[in-house]
Amino acid sequence: MAINKALKFVAQLSIDKASQALSRFIRVGAKIEMDDIYMADISEITGKLSAESDEVVGAFIDLGGDVKFKFLFFVNAQDSCLLADLILRRPVGTTTTYDQYTSSAVQEIANILSCGIASVFTSDFQLGITISPPTVIHDFVGTVFLEYFMSIAVEQNEVMMIETTFKIVQQNINCHMFIIPDSKTEKVLSYISNTL
Amino acid sequence: MSKKVLLVDDAPILRLLLKDILEKNGYEVVAECSNGNEAVAKFKELRPDLVTLDIIMPEKTGLEALGEILKIDPNARIIMVTAIEDRESLMKALRSGANDYILKPFEEGRVISAVKGTLDE
Repeated sequence: MAINKALKFVAQLSIDKASQALSRFIRVGAKIEMDDIYMADISEITGKLSAESDEVVGAFIDLGGDVKFKFLFFVNAQDSCLLADLILRRPVGTTTTYDQYTSSAVQEIANILSCGIASVFTSDFQLGITISPPTVIHDFVGTVFLEYFMSIAVEQNEVMMIETTFKIVQQNINCHMFIIPDSKTEKVLSYISNTL
Repeated sequence: MSKKVLLVDDAPILRLLLKDILEKNGYEVVAECSNGNEAVAKFKELRPDLVTLDIIMPEKTGLEALGEILKIDPNARIIMVTAIEDRESLMKALRSGANDYILKPFEEGRVISAVKGTLDE
């Protein structure tokens, strides 16, 4: 599928909504930037990422209905402690180890972000979207990606990756969000982008 | 006597936030549940004055639990909890008999006004 300018616009709109929702949630500025949107070969990208050994906390969500996406949000395990402090409105640095609250912070941020993305399609394009409860995983980044791709690989050889990073103001937290539409959804996205 | 509240949310961090707000304002949190099945069972057992019910949860969603709790007690007071942009599910819940809603992130004033208003109905 061709990644055209209009498709990038739809992706950017989704990311901006997610960015606003996240800022409201943690009560400090959060800016999500779209690093890249591209078609990637699953076997190639899986091989590359499986070598990554940073410990992260990630959350997967399935967006279903008229458009279907696989959503992944992850953050360095140490930074998940900072996110928990921000949400609980505690002084940053209070939480020092990974526990149920850090896991839950990642889970809830993933929820907020995916709801923000879904709202673009429900409000702006009148499509129906369902959102699954998040699955949280604490592991090496390569393992998290393998899990993420596993359910897609059987259906597709190539996937559209919308890759982002974002910064949370006053805290040096690097988070990552990936959105992969399924093959039918790519056609819907293509149709939407051609109508813009 | 303080009013009894049952908190239902699959995110422990949000249960902790909501519990702090409620206890600070004189309400008693009698139990916490992380899914709809537990919520229905605890409601039967404890008969709280109020239930706060998250919409998106594993095993049984908040919408499903809402229907079952209202079957057990049609006068049950239930406040739905939802993420900012999940308007569609929220409208479904209100049409199905929920009394009010609160949005994530929680605003203390809004939480207390929803709880007070629902209990005073």
